[in-house]
Amino acid sequence: MKPKHSLVLIVLSLTLFSCWKYYNRNAHPIDFAGRTKVLGYKPIYGVETEAKKIAYTDTPQAAMSKGNIYAFKTYIFQLDPGFGIHVFDNTIPSKAHKIGFITVKGCAQISIKDDKIYTNSYDDLVVLDFSDLSNIHEFSRLKGVFAEYEYQSPIAQPPFRGFYECPNYTSFVVGWIKDSVYQYCYKN
Amino acid sequence: MRVFIHFTGIIFIASLFSCEKTASDSASAAAPSNTGVGGSLTKFTIIGNYIYAVSSYTLYTIDVSNPAKPVNIGRTPLGFDIETIYPYKNRLFIGSRTGLYIYSIDTASAPRLLGQARHGRSCDPVVANDTVSYSTLRSSTTCGAAPSGLYIYNIKNLDQLELKKTISINDPIGLGMIDSALYVCCQNEGLKVFSIKDAYNPVEMQTLSNSDFIDVIPYHDVLICWVRKGVSLYDISNRLKPVFVKTIEN
Repeated sequence: MKPKHSLVLIVLSLTLFSCWKYYNRNAHPIDFAGRTKVLGYKPIYGVETEAKKIAYTDTPQAAMSKGNIYAFKTYIFQLDPGFGIHVFDNTIPSKAHKIGFITVKGCAQISIKDDKIYTNSYDDLVVLDFSDLSNIHEFSRLKGVFAEYEYQSPIAQPPFRGFYECPNYTSFVVGWIKDSVYQYCYKN
Repeated sequence: MRVFIHFTGIIFIASLFSCEKTASDSASAAAPSNTGVGGSLTKFTIIGNYIYAVSSYTLYTIDVSNPAKPVNIGRTPLGFDIETIYPYKNRLFIGSRTGLYIYSIDTASAPRLLGQARHGRSCDPVVANDTVSYSTLRSSTTCGAAPSGLYIYNIKNLDQLELKKTISINDPIGLGMIDSALYVCCQNEGLKVFSIKDAYNPVEMQTLSNSDFIDVIPYHDVLICWVRKGVSLYDISNRLKPVFVKTIEN
């Protein structure tokens, strides 16, 4: 047999193998490695324009996952990594409370200067205008500046502990839904 | 009598000085007042017209002098497993899993390495001023094996950062300093309050153990704390005796 032929055979058998795995995953509660399905989280994917859309609501939201804190003037901000930014009024600390939530999917970091919030949505730097609380909106954007994985996929893990379906990193994960999943990826 | 007048004069001058120190230090984590203050676990910071952002391997520099049109200036390759960035004056303190790096931003668009201290593999956020830096190293499974604790460096000589002292603490994480107080978050072991009147020899004053503390921002007279349950606020008008104000739950 020529080396070329054996190569084709190897590739073919690999393809078969991957089909077998795929087939198994869908049809049986046990996959080829003997892993069973458990209740966990499956990623929800979105198209880029939807995934990167900024929105503000003055209805405070419960925190999904928790991230960095930031203080600016009489406000406190807390990142909800992957989902957005919680805004707190801290004018009188004893009465401090959440006042709203900025949806910034794929966010991981925050910094503020001159009433502009600098954050990231996946790999974009996003500048939000914060000068009018009732109208926090996207001011500008520098697309694709953060080339590295951690900025691209801060939402690549569900906000809760447990098993989840390992996401496809070339797509935009916009959220997570409870489902039965194989025991591959685990969030601590 | 003359001695007394002199003494009063000295006290008066000292108090002026301490006021000035308070004012500048409360904003120490971010020099100008039009910029906010981040916690110690951040990877984003703004100094002047630039955003400095770290990822695991890179320092990004972005010019935001015109916020309507941010400009990507470039990327500086860093070591490995970069964790945090802390601004102080014209310096960036970068904490990584293998050491502490100090960069000059005298040329704001081109950060330059001034000094570094290597340590065993561990996670380490950092706070600092002109003469001293405090890092917490935590050696959990994901972080590495170096002994957990508070690491105090003399940073007067940037060519050779000198490890002055280590204080053993289990899994410390975020930290914050203001005036003569240093707050160290110890997760489920609470928040440790140190007096840093003697900068290289912090003295533990008390531990607040009613929450899981992750990170803190000393912000004027309020200590803003990221705790497991949400965001807690403490009055720190007496720096070494935080008084609980409230928790805003998740």
